[in-house]
Amino acid sequence: MSRPSPRTVFLEALDQETADQRDAYLASVCGEDAELRASVESLLAAHERPANPLDQSPLTSPLDPTLVADLVGPSEHIGMTIGAYRLMEQIGEGGFGLVFVAQQDKPVRRKVALKIIKPGTGSQEVLARFDAERQAVAMMDHPNIARVFDAGVTKDARPYFVMELVRGEPITDFCDRHGLSLRDRLQLFQDVCAATHHAHQKGVVHRDLKPSNVMVTLHDDKPVVKVIDFGVAKAMGQNLTDATIYTRFYSMIGTPLYMSPEQAAMSGLDVDTRSDIYSLGVLLYELLTGTTPFDRKRLDSAGYDEMRRIIREEDPPKPSTRLTTIQSLNSPTVAEPRDDSTQAAEARARRESIPSDLDWIVMKAMEKDRNRRYESAAAMSADVRRFLSEEPIEARPPSRGYRLRKFAARNRAALLTGSLVAAALVVGTAVSLYQASVAIAERNEKEIALRDAISARQEVESFAERLKTANVLLGNARSYEDSQQYAAADSAYSEAVDLVPNYYLVWVQRAALRGRLHLWDEAADDFAAAMRLEAPIDSRQWEGAAAIFHLTDRTNDYRAIYSRLMEPPTENPPPLNFHSIRACLISPADVPDARRLAAEIESMLARSAGPPGGPWGPGSWGRPNRDRDFRRDGPDRGPRPLGPNGFDFNRPEPGDPPSAGPGFSGPEPGGGPRRPSFEDRVPQSVMQYVAAWASLRAGEEQKALEHLDAASNSRGPSGDMVHSLRAIALHRTGETEQATAEMRQADNALDKAISEAIESPDQRRPWIDLLEMIILHREATREVLGTDAELDPRLVAVQQSARDLLRL
Amino acid sequence: MVKSEVSQILHQIENGDQHAASQLLPLVYEELRRLASNKMAQEKQGHTLQPTALVHEAFVRLVSGEADGDDPHKWDGRGHFFAAAAESMRRILVESARRRNAQKRGGGMQRCEFTENDAILDHQDDATLLSLDDALTKLAAEDAELAKLVQLRYFTGLTIEETADVLGVSARTVKRHWTYARAWLRRAMDAEE
Repeated sequence: MSRPSPRTVFLEALDQETADQRDAYLASVCGEDAELRASVESLLAAHERPANPLDQSPLTSPLDPTLVADLVGPSEHIGMTIGAYRLMEQIGEGGFGLVFVAQQDKPVRRKVALKIIKPGTGSQEVLARFDAERQAVAMMDHPNIARVFDAGVTKDARPYFVMELVRGEPITDFCDRHGLSLRDRLQLFQDVCAATHHAHQKGVVHRDLKPSNVMVTLHDDKPVVKVIDFGVAKAMGQNLTDATIYTRFYSMIGTPLYMSPEQAAMSGLDVDTRSDIYSLGVLLYELLTGTTPFDRKRLDSAGYDEMRRIIREEDPPKPSTRLTTIQSLNSPTVAEPRDDSTQAAEARARRESIPSDLDWIVMKAMEKDRNRRYESAAAMSADVRRFLSEEPIEARPPSRGYRLRKFAARNRAALLTGSLVAAALVVGTAVSLYQASVAIAERNEKEIALRDAISARQEVESFAERLKTANVLLGNARSYEDSQQYAAADSAYSEAVDLVPNYYLVWVQRAALRGRLHLWDEAADDFAAAMRLEAPIDSRQWEGAAAIFHLTDRTNDYRAIYSRLMEPPTENPPPLNFHSIRACLISPADVPDARRLAAEIESMLARSAGPPGGPWGPGSWGRPNRDRDFRRDGPDRGPRPLGPNGFDFNRPEPGDPPSAGPGFSGPEPGGGPRRPSFEDRVPQSVMQYVAAWASLRAGEEQKALEHLDAASNSRGPSGDMVHSLRAIALHRTGETEQATAEMRQADNALDKAISEAIESPDQRRPWIDLLEMIILHREATREVLGTDAELDPRLVAVQQSARDLLRL
Repeated sequence: MVKSEVSQILHQIENGDQHAASQLLPLVYEELRRLASNKMAQEKQGHTLQPTALVHEAFVRLVSGEADGDDPHKWDGRGHFFAAAAESMRRILVESARRRNAQKRGGGMQRCEFTENDAILDHQDDATLLSLDDALTKLAAEDAELAKLVQLRYFTGLTIEETADVLGVSARTVKRHWTYARAWLRRAMDAEE
């Protein structure tokens, strides 16, 4: 027999269930071959060692700048002479070009700004385009446009522009720092429009209008707008073809925040003056609200395609729905609300609404369809002027037919964001209100019918509008939450709650966040509010609600959720799902209820047991369908989170089946086709633990102990949650000594779980686990030891700091 | 244009032109470098870069069709692309780590500012990456296919299934090979310390 390879032996050894079996296997295979044995042993040791670098993504620190940056650094430019200009100091850099302060000596002595493309980025195409454009750029002459003095090409074929050196600050910073009133802001904005209009008439499109290109300088204490870089983007060859634009996309635009949908689409559609109108809309939006229409962090973190989708498809919330500190048309403001996460609360208190006419102006400029935007910058400016002189503006609420189309688009957006429930709610309400209005109209009671129809429509529209905004906020909040910016997340959830307080989803989402931060009281309030809105409570998001109610002594709320779960108001209710059973087991109403729960979990357990040698049976390598856990399969043999598969099911997954909402009929009576069940993914050991709990509740201690043993012995997530239950069971069967010993293990397990929860607040472990541990530990302490368990002071401290963080 | 060039090369490889494969690497390498450079230009100092995300972006850009019906996962040339991308990414990261290491020892031509935290973190990461690179080279000498698998998984972030797909083997095989290689590399890295 030939000698087996270390690889084969290593993998076979890993498949052995226990350490003893492994030793026996190694002994039998290696025999006298000490070398083989040592090799395999060292591999096994390496396998078990924690923190294997291969389990982490290769590199998360920045790449070395000298590697990826272009070979000629800025330092090599300083002192260089280009034409009549001597480069002095670098003041800007994009992926594409460099900007310097340069000294000109002849014919006049002055400082200028010189923008030159980086070495290696030029091409024949760029040069041809540059020649065509420099003429147009030179034609511009407007007090609000930075002058272009000169343009040329260096010996190494790099185009450059020489421009008026504008010493100022971006318009948004200027307005905020000087606390400009709404009127002053709008007047400055009109100057931007005038500059843009002038350029457009000369056939020059800016393509990159954004605050850093719209500077404000003070001339004799009077602010003067200077738009810089007009036409430079195009002349310098940006935007050549789809293929190059993609590569240069980030460097060219720098930020997609101000980019029009057609620019984002990169469809090859010519970018024209209307793209600038869109950017003007974004600029005005930011001047009014202090924030950009789309969330900066969200766009930054979105992938390329997602970012394009957002810009092309999502409607930003209207300016008037955003917080602002600009108090009124004429009074100056005190502070700027740019950091929305920390100042949101104050800002909300001082909140003044932006006049709705300005909403229309901004939204008209920012229309996705460029044909619907203002036909010129002058037309936009004229509308701003009309607003300032209190004349009727041109931008009007769109027609009914148009709104209907927008409505469909909105629902699509809602669907895309995964908020099926929201969509159902909108459609349901819209349809029924519309039908109502039709029915009334048909009664031919002209006036009343007409009035009702109008108000019904308005109601639908305004509700739909707020719901849309709320959905955007929820999306933002979720991404904040994912990036662990809890204060910002909570503030976005709270804003959504203020906006649509009758929409249960916003409450549930905030509850989940607060629950995750151990803020049980706050989470309980939110869950209770959602319950009063008739939210469907058998969805995954509700896991933990019952435990929280119980833990915070909200007996009535617990009873309410309990009876809605146990006796749903439908005929032939479907069997309880896994987490509903857990919720009810916390405090069953009576023994028959407990027996029913025990029966349901037993049958679930039987269903999931599957064929012998199932998921965790001997001989199978790892676990099927658990690749994301794969890397952690090695060294970590400790107890696993009890949530199925370590999956945080407090939060909805994208693509989660919709929870039944008012628009849905709920689970089919009589049990329709069973949807791919969540129970299928619950590990056996977790089921065993719940079954033990149920047996205990039903008064079957012996059975409970059997289930507990199964839960502990399983190789899968065995859990540190079994101890309290076992202590109770032992105590009731008269094994007092063992029960007390088990209590000590329960103490330790709880202590450890609390440490873990505190040390890694972003644990993937569902917080329901900890809640259940606390609840059962309390119960066991009282029953077995006859004392009351105090709440761990560390949790109290964590709660307090979470409250401070959220400013509650 | 780069995209059509890459597509063309991939077609040539598919049609049996082994010479074409050597043309693929520089193109993919250059593209990844450029993407990384653009990302760096827009990110603030200290921002993190996700190499595997970069590879997928390059894939979308260079290989998968823009036309709606063109499912990138059905594209036969993707294996070659990801192999080239993995190799490129490894080179880029390793080269970057080497340069930074050299700078920290004072051998660099340019002075770079590092905060204290940066220095500590980067040093660790760089050292680990370089030692992994060495180990990987040793593994390749012993079993080239195994090293290729690790490179695919680690530097491009392909999942087990995707790796299996690209290599034309079963997911179970990939898992077993990965488990072995993971332990093997760890042992090799530990031995160096």
